Amino acid sequence: MATKSNTDKITSDLLRPIRLNKSFVIWMGFLGVSLVICLGAYGLQLKNGMVVTGLGDYVSWGMYISSFVFFVATSLIGMLISAVLGLSGQKWASPLARIAEIIALAFASVAGIVIILDMGRPERLLNVIIHGQIQSPILWDVTVVTVYMIISALFLYIPLIPDLKICSEKLKNLPPFARNIYKVLSLNWNNTPEQNKIIKQTTRTIAIFIIPVALAIHTVTSWLFANTSRAGWDSTIFGPYFVTGAFVAGTAAVIIAMYFFRKNYKLQDYITDNHFDMIGKLLVLVSLVYLYFNLNEYMVPFYKMKESEAILIRDLFAVNHAVLFWSVQILGLVLPIILLLFKKMRKPLPMLVIGIMVLLGAWFKRMIIVVPTQEHPYLPIQNVPLNFKIYTPTLVETLITIAPFILVLIIITLLAKVIPIIPVHETIEQLEDAPISPKGDLK
Amino acid sequence: MYTRNLRIVTFAIVSMFFLHSFAENNWNVPADKKARNSTIKFDATTSKVGESVYTKNCVSCHGDPTKGNSLKSLSPVPPDLASAKTQELTDGELFYILNTGRVIMPSFNNVLSEEDRWKIISYIRSFNKDYVQQLSISDTNKSQLVKVDMAFDKKSNQITVTVKANEKTGVVSLKDDEIVLFANRYFGRLQIGESQRTTADGVAVFDFPKDLPGDKDGNVKLVVKVNDDTYGEISRLKTMKIGVPTDIPSMTADRTIWNVLFKPIWIIVLYTFGVMVFGCVLLYLLYSLNRLRKAGNI
Ligand code: HEC
Repeated sequence: MATKSNTDKITSDLLRPIRLNKSFVIWMGFLGVSLVICLGAYGLQLKNGMVVTGLGDYVSWGMYISSFVFFVATSLIGMLISAVLGLSGQKWASPLARIAEIIALAFASVAGIVIILDMGRPERLLNVIIHGQIQSPILWDVTVVTVYMIISALFLYIPLIPDLKICSEKLKNLPPFARNIYKVLSLNWNNTPEQNKIIKQTTRTIAIFIIPVALAIHTVTSWLFANTSRAGWDSTIFGPYFVTGAFVAGTAAVIIAMYFFRKNYKLQDYITDNHFDMIGKLLVLVSLVYLYFNLNEYMVPFYKMKESEAILIRDLFAVNHAVLFWSVQILGLVLPIILLLFKKMRKPLPMLVIGIMVLLGAWFKRMIIVVPTQEHPYLPIQNVPLNFKIYTPTLVETLITIAPFILVLIIITLLAKVIPIIPVHETIEQLEDAPISPKGDLK
Repeated sequence: MYTRNLRIVTFAIVSMFFLHSFAENNWNVPADKKARNSTIKFDATTSKVGESVYTKNCVSCHGDPTKGNSLKSLSPVPPDLASAKTQELTDGELFYILNTGRVIMPSFNNVLSEEDRWKIISYIRSFNKDYVQQLSISDTNKSQLVKVDMAFDKKSNQITVTVKANEKTGVVSLKDDEIVLFANRYFGRLQIGESQRTTADGVAVFDFPKDLPGDKDGNVKLVVKVNDDTYGEISRLKTMKIGVPTDIPSMTADRTIWNVLFKPIWIIVLYTFGVMVFGCVLLYLLYSLNRLRKAGNI
């Protein structure tokens, strides 16, 4: 049985990070200043137009759209960890659910902003709705991203309700207004059996509903490409290819977040080596599936070498994009899979390094999917300057691309500062079900 | 050794001959055409118009004048039109080259209006500081006196073109003029039959094909071009209902997913259904949260 002291220890351990401290202020200050610099660059783009970027008539989707795909991809992890693993009874993953949800919410909400960065006339954003064409994947994309964002927010919020109550009661050193906010948001939580039942029911509903929504958001994103007949995009497996790629990116993001939360919030008892071991195996699994899709996506056209595809494939395999292409495939996918097969590598620090490799690889992979196709249109490119033919991002564009990443970090940092990132109520409950010490393995 | 030298010498002579013939820049323009001048005065405005016509029709091969960025993969390489060699040509020669073309260099006679062709030359000349224009002495207003009639005879399927000029002294038939008849197509014009010369009454007769597609109602836009030494180049447009009515929707008109005009019902149904399911789930969740709040009252 959960003893009183155990419960108290868990509560105080998990609520400890919720306070202002120096490192938080310094970190947020750093993020804030960086964001201001990047916004300055965006000011230049607003003032002078898209000429400040390397985008043009031929390559009109560059780093911004690649980032957009990356953001949508990473956000899918909420669905994988909280919904799929949760519904299939993988108890080990439940302490990671909230981290995954925070990442999902942050990346999904910023994904929409990334799209605006790509617009030369952002003040016309509403035209997407006003003049939206129902048969255009762009409208579907706007719809599903919004839906996924709302559902992710609820998926984060509803299981959090009991914890909010605990926060309002236990965080005595907070100013009263802050505790009041917790109280209001905790919706009159009294831990009654009926309330527990409602929480369980609604969480389950969301967990089921979010699976098709998440599949839809990334499938639709892939259709933005696959519904055209351009070489390299004209593919029937783009949906599942993107979805599995998304799981790889998202799992890497969760691993990186796990490492930093565990270290900075001193959560070694709650995010254990076993969690790293398990999620390492999960990363191998999703990476293998993704590798399989990569094999299909590149091997089949490579074998046939249809004329238009052949130009692109040659470019990717051996010419302009070869270095990036092979680095992404080997350093971002094959090598991590091999490394993670060793138990020694599934420890926190090596996992952090591998996670960063995979996440970087995932971003560059989006560039490899988005950009080279546009450099090879069906009609020949004639009499244009070289920089029209080969996409080279500018410094301003790079700074603007960094902005959404900073924004994501700010959202994650803020959320992780105001809510316990390991579910308190759930951890205590699990302890009551299966009497194990919080020191030990939560498996 | 000897034969080898001979071969080299022969090769050198032959190649010099070829190089020479290219270097000569010889377009063999007939003297009367060479002396031809524009009736339009070249100035900044005409050169501006010329530039935009040039950008659409010439840049792809000749590149930007003075930049030397013409399409090097062609043989002969299209010259930079700002170059001294091109500028040495008279206006009449340039006009002739534009009209006739040669192998790779296309003929623009039937593609661009006479006015546009002169304006391109105005643009080409704007790169030459030493250029002084000689205007054509022929009266530009004269062409307005010309009246062109087109009549279609259903039985013989022929078009009769009558060209007359309303001079103060009375109506004059233009005889022995070259008449060319075109039908406007999506891209450029389609010449109908051979060009004809007018009879003494100023009449030229063209056989019209029976199977020429028109628009939905069978309308065909016809352009008739008259070349007269006194009255200049005259072109008139007339729409006649003499084609085969044709209404072929484009192959993608009613099915592509990106089509703006056509909204497939299945997409409307699926989309609406999806949004409605989401709405229901959202309502259920909000309702549950409300129940949760009430259930806390003990
Ligand atoms: C398909 C490619 C192509 C296009 C389009 C084209 N040209 Fe040419 N042009 C050529 C080539 C090739 C030559 C050289 C022909 C030769 O010497 O036999 C040439 C020669 C000329 C010359 C003669 C220059 C000299 O110094 O001998 C003039 C003038 C000229 N072009 C004007 C034009 C103009 C004006 C246009 C646009 C209305 C145009 N061209 C469009 C390919 C092109």
